Amino acid sequence: MEKIELSRLVQLHPERVSHVSSTDYPGHWPGEDHTWDLEVFRHNLRLDIQRLTPSTIDFDLIGVDASIANALRRILIAEVETIAIEKVFVWQNTSVMQDEVLAARLGLVPLRIHPGRLETWQPEATATDANTISFQLQVSCTRRPNVSSAETDPSKLYENSTVYSSHMIWQPVGQQGHLPDWVSDPPAVAAPDIVLLKLRPGQEVHAELHCVKACGREHAKWSPVATATYRLMPHIDIVSPVPERLQQKFVESFSPGVIGRRKGQGGKGMEVYVKDARRDTVSRNVFMHPEFEGVVKLGRVRDHFLFSVESAGQIPPQALLPEAIAVFRRKIKVVSSALEELIHPTAAAEEGEKEAADGEEREDGGMDVDL
Amino acid sequence: MNALPRFELFTLGDGEKAIEVVEDTKIPNAATIRVAKQDHTLANMIRGYLLKNPKVLFAGYKVPHPLEPHFILKIQTDGTATPVEVLQEVCTTLLTLVAKIEGKFKEQFQQKELEVGLEEPYGAPGGRLPRGDYTEPRRANAMDYLDF
Repeated sequence: MEKIELSRLVQLHPERVSHVSSTDYPGHWPGEDHTWDLEVFRHNLRLDIQRLTPSTIDFDLIGVDASIANALRRILIAEVETIAIEKVFVWQNTSVMQDEVLAARLGLVPLRIHPGRLETWQPEATATDANTISFQLQVSCTRRPNVSSAETDPSKLYENSTVYSSHMIWQPVGQQGHLPDWVSDPPAVAAPDIVLLKLRPGQEVHAELHCVKACGREHAKWSPVATATYRLMPHIDIVSPVPERLQQKFVESFSPGVIGRRKGQGGKGMEVYVKDARRDTVSRNVFMHPEFEGVVKLGRVRDHFLFSVESAGQIPPQALLPEAIAVFRRKIKVVSSALEELIHPTAAAEEGEKEAADGEEREDGGMDVDL
Repeated sequence: MNALPRFELFTLGDGEKAIEVVEDTKIPNAATIRVAKQDHTLANMIRGYLLKNPKVLFAGYKVPHPLEPHFILKIQTDGTATPVEVLQEVCTTLLTLVAKIEGKFKEQFQQKELEVGLEEPYGAPGGRLPRGDYTEPRRANAMDYLDF
């Protein structure tokens, strides 16, 4: 196991945790300078992608303060903008589900639309082709002819007995139907098999769904993640050898796969070693047994964050962090340009224009990943 | 019941300033800064990195009321720079820091071929997002994070 300085560890004891806050501030340790330095930071920063699936990304962020990791998590949940159904105009609804329940349900359906395609919805704005996407939901249920009278399965007896998210059809408005990228990749639902409601013969729903761009702070339906979390890397330090007769019990005190057994050094007997600390749930079960007292020291690495981010479907998982970082930049830029205005009241406006011109040369941003 | 409309959490009101600075008259080199329409996400980060600056003697923040979308930041410096200058330095620090994080993230995709796991955690059906790359021509006048 990698050797980690004690100052980077949150220490875990049987009944309490200690050394929780970071102490790498200037003036905290005599004779040590912890001033933030780009070179030191660049040397310590690590980012390892552990797993990427069509819907999730797990990555390790190492060498940053907890406030940065937490800001990224909070931004992912609440401040990355996506597009969701905001207004539902119900023309006909004879199903058993009330209009308002249906509308609330529709709002939560994740839509696979690039957020860059719309302008952010402003309060009191009027719907235009630049800020609204429209879907049509029109389904009626009928009895299927020539079905055996012994049949009891509604999906065989009736046509459209279940309304799925795939029944929502995009209705281009204004310019939308003429833009080549909209036509080649039309707005659609992220998953076609979400059950919206159930119908029986004679029942019908007909609604127009207006989708707008906003962020999760306004309502959770705009959150692009389901959900984003991090935990600290567990650290296990076996300080004294475990006798062979107790090794099985020691291994079982941790989550499966955390502790391994191997041939001891010098070829005599077996010894235990930390195989994969990441898998530990930090149950601290090992502290229950008096025979293991003083054998092991548990901790968590304070600046080693194990992120686990699951996309809700609007934004692919590998694009979530870059999107969050874009929001992060925008937030700081608000503060820094307001300060610039305070320090140099006229210079700030000019600089803003210059930076906008610089930005255009770097249009190649975004991810080029084929999955 | 008493909560503001939710858009007021992030849109500046008419005539509202993003930042207001009140210099402290009783403590030397100290200022109280009110940042509108921001919450713990930004506040804690700024506080953390203010403390990493050797010119800062004190830095702390509070969100006075959970329903009021602003926070108050108190900074005292050792006199070699004003609180406003130190805060500007921290903004630059955070911008370079986040650029490094983004650089590392993109590096991961360039340097090695990432295997996309077929096995989905939490029993979700696999292959739900066959989306390819995420680059797309944006609207000509749309704001992008590279426009800053």
